[in-house]
Amino acid sequence: MTVYTPEKPLTAAEVTGPGAWWCSGCGDFGVTAAFKDVLVTLVNELGIPLERIFVMSGIGCSSKEPEMLRLNSYHGQHGRSIPVAMGVALANPNLVVVDFGGDGDTYAIGMEHFVHACIKNVNMTLIVMNNQVYGLTRGQASPTGHLGLKTSSTPEGKKVRPVNPLKLAIAAGAAFVARGVSWKKKELAELMLRAIQTKGFSLLDVFSPCVTYHREPGYRGSGAIVDWYRLNYVLDIQEAWREMRDQVFSEEERAHLPADYDPTSPDAALYALRLIEEAAKMGREVTGLLLVNESAPTLEEALGVSPERAPALADIAVEANLEHYQRLLAELR
Amino acid sequence: MRSLQVCGAGRAGDGTNTNISMLGQVLKDLGAWTFIWREEVYSNIQTRDTAFGLRAADAPVYGPDDQFDILEAFDQGAFLDWTGEGRVPPLARLRKGGVVLYDTSPRLEYPNTGHEVRPEQVEGELRARDARLFGLPMGRMAKEQFGNYIVRGTIALGALAQMLGLPEEAFVRRFARIFGEGSDLFRLNLEAFRAGLEHARAEGWELPDLRLPLSALDGDERQLLLGNEAVALGAIVAGCRFYAGYPITPASEVLEYMAEKLPSLGGVVVQADSEMAAAHHVIGGSLTGARSMTATSGPGFSLMQEAISAAGMTETPVVIVVSQRGGPATGLPTKVGQEDLNETVFGGHGDFARIVLAPTEPEDAFYMMEKAFNLADRYQCPVFVIYDQMFAQSTYTTPPLDPARFVIDRGKVVAGPVNGHNGHYRRYALTEDGISPRAFPGTPGIHTIYANTNEHTEEGYITEEMVVRKAMVEKRVVKRMALIQRDPDLPPPRLHGPADAPIGFIAYGSTYGPVLEAVERLAAAGQRAKFLALRTIWPFPAREVRRFVERCRVVYVVEYSATAQLKGLVQREATGPMPRKLRSVLRYDGRPMTPGYILQSL
Repeated sequence: MTVYTPEKPLTAAEVTGPGAWWCSGCGDFGVTAAFKDVLVTLVNELGIPLERIFVMSGIGCSSKEPEMLRLNSYHGQHGRSIPVAMGVALANPNLVVVDFGGDGDTYAIGMEHFVHACIKNVNMTLIVMNNQVYGLTRGQASPTGHLGLKTSSTPEGKKVRPVNPLKLAIAAGAAFVARGVSWKKKELAELMLRAIQTKGFSLLDVFSPCVTYHREPGYRGSGAIVDWYRLNYVLDIQEAWREMRDQVFSEEERAHLPADYDPTSPDAALYALRLIEEAAKMGREVTGLLLVNESAPTLEEALGVSPERAPALADIAVEANLEHYQRLLAELR
Repeated sequence: MRSLQVCGAGRAGDGTNTNISMLGQVLKDLGAWTFIWREEVYSNIQTRDTAFGLRAADAPVYGPDDQFDILEAFDQGAFLDWTGEGRVPPLARLRKGGVVLYDTSPRLEYPNTGHEVRPEQVEGELRARDARLFGLPMGRMAKEQFGNYIVRGTIALGALAQMLGLPEEAFVRRFARIFGEGSDLFRLNLEAFRAGLEHARAEGWELPDLRLPLSALDGDERQLLLGNEAVALGAIVAGCRFYAGYPITPASEVLEYMAEKLPSLGGVVVQADSEMAAAHHVIGGSLTGARSMTATSGPGFSLMQEAISAAGMTETPVVIVVSQRGGPATGLPTKVGQEDLNETVFGGHGDFARIVLAPTEPEDAFYMMEKAFNLADRYQCPVFVIYDQMFAQSTYTTPPLDPARFVIDRGKVVAGPVNGHNGHYRRYALTEDGISPRAFPGTPGIHTIYANTNEHTEEGYITEEMVVRKAMVEKRVVKRMALIQRDPDLPPPRLHGPADAPIGFIAYGSTYGPVLEAVERLAAAGQRAKFLALRTIWPFPAREVRRFVERCRVVYVVEYSATAQLKGLVQREATGPMPRKLRSVLRYDGRPMTPGYILQSL
């Protein structure tokens, strides 16, 4: 790959699209702002030309992301951005593939693709804007909606237990598993950049609150739902580690544990799963970087494609392959 | 055309496929044109009744004839409907004076050991056919002399070689190629073959009346190809380097062939988690510029409808192979049907441009793949290649295929920076002919390639404004289909028979051979008939079909569909109802169409 230096530094304005889709105060604005910072870093500091970045999305409020940007992109159908993204990543490994989805998009209708993308470990980043509701269809409960959540489709409170995407991603072997929050742009941008730089499938689930349809008793008014998340719902992984390691791990185990949670530890998957379980008992969801593990081969590596050997760039001229084709025919005589 | 038709009938796991395939390969090497089909295969790996058919002829042959000259019986299922399900056993299709080569040993292996071959149970039927019976203790020989029951089939081949006067060297050459010269399997099969041959010679078995006058060709470069392999090979030569698929009968051989061959050509094959995923992978592959394809059958094709609509809306070229089987739902997974024509022509929600091509035989299919990929790129729309199980899973001797004849046309592609509106590349730029040049991500200077499944502006951004919407629909469907209609690369129908013949046939897919022969037999009986074999189904060749029908007294549309889907298209697109003139020859019992079946249905 050639080292690339932009003629003039990229600014966020240059990658800003014409989109105007979200309610005032929507968490998705925070995600977009963080992503634009990441784009600037990728182009100006990490030498990745803008034309090599490819953004995808499915359907839902979150999936309006490409509308907010000015990038090579594909805006797909509900739940189907992941398999399209996998196709792009496999056919041309020179591209940086970032897929934006929502919680209904990814963890309901797209679940098949999500789990298999983790298992297959295709080299791409999935950023899920998780807000517990189907915002674009006016606020029905989504698979991540917590028990008891009152919405238009769960008038008596949600009775079906929520899915935990982090546990699923860890169990399915994703290379990178993290959860960010939309109201902390700097930290979110750091997680995004690390997700993109990780070799293999990266899941970055982001709590990106719906200010219009996600209602919690006692939290009214603009911005109140963010307070609900902050005060009642999230628990940083480092904090969870410090608070819970004594309850979770035996004395013998504790002797070998580092002071801080280490997402790159070979045991990070097990630790993360236990902390997620413990936090759930308190009605909390962990945030932060849970797991980075680049040890498994990516789908690209497994199938023998690489930036130098990209199917999209293969020479398909008949003359260039004629001998090979003649051999294939000879086999069939 | 002179031909010899052999059926190998046993139980799944008995090796009848190998037996018939090896015989076919040898006959081809000796100069014959061959056609091998699955006469009876269940969706099952071991135990159910199985029969493979082989037709060897002195001219190209594209389908089975009605009756067998020789029946190899490895199991009583060859003679009897032992299940009582209403099955028609292969014996029912043995011609008068036909030959039965059967195993006189008890069943020594595999389930249903009670099913040893016992001709006395069907004595009346055998006598009514004047069948010539040859009993060979192949099971016992296989077990006792070779300790391997499966070589029953090879022992039978030895006996057939003696009876038909086929030279041993031809078998030795094929065994060497299949098993590796000098390998244990090579020696085992050669010895089993010789044992069968010696037995038949000692018994003085000869069938001079069944010997085909064959002469091997110098530098024979003909291929033996499964329909599915012809399609896969054609796709490869057409430059397909991205394949995604999910295993399904009768399309899996496309996936398997691609998986074996694409990596060494710099391509990639991904076995998807479903057909839904496969079709979307293919859209992704195509967005990067790789020529991309998937293949499937009925149930999988239903799962692809959403992606097909997305390809139509985003103007992403994809090639989708539809290998039909009997439906609906799971239907008849391993048997022939043509029930998905409507879904191919009308499936996927919304209005969008599409092209549907239909190969008649493997040589046609191979070259048609060049057109499929070129048309997809040229018109940036889904292109379907539709056929059926009898084509997909039959092995044909094909004339030498020439990859050098392929010409690759990628359509309108932008290779460098473009200053469109606001200095940006516009994916859906409104051009005079309605086709917007494509650009692939990674092209220097272009970072605004936006493909959108929502209705979109020229730049690709969402819009619901009526003026833009109308312009986009017109660009995407109305203008596009009008352009496609005039494209000289659309494979025209093939017309066989005299133009002024009063009896007409229309068909597509694997019925090509049987209809051709039905027409020939009518002619031989003094009835002038002709045949229009459709090779492009959409845009429908309305003018050709109308002209053809106008000059006929009666037209039979031959197809594997109870609701006559092809006839429906003919009426809708070309002729109107014409109830007196347009008739149907239908088959929907999952069994292959034959010339006799067609003639009896008139």
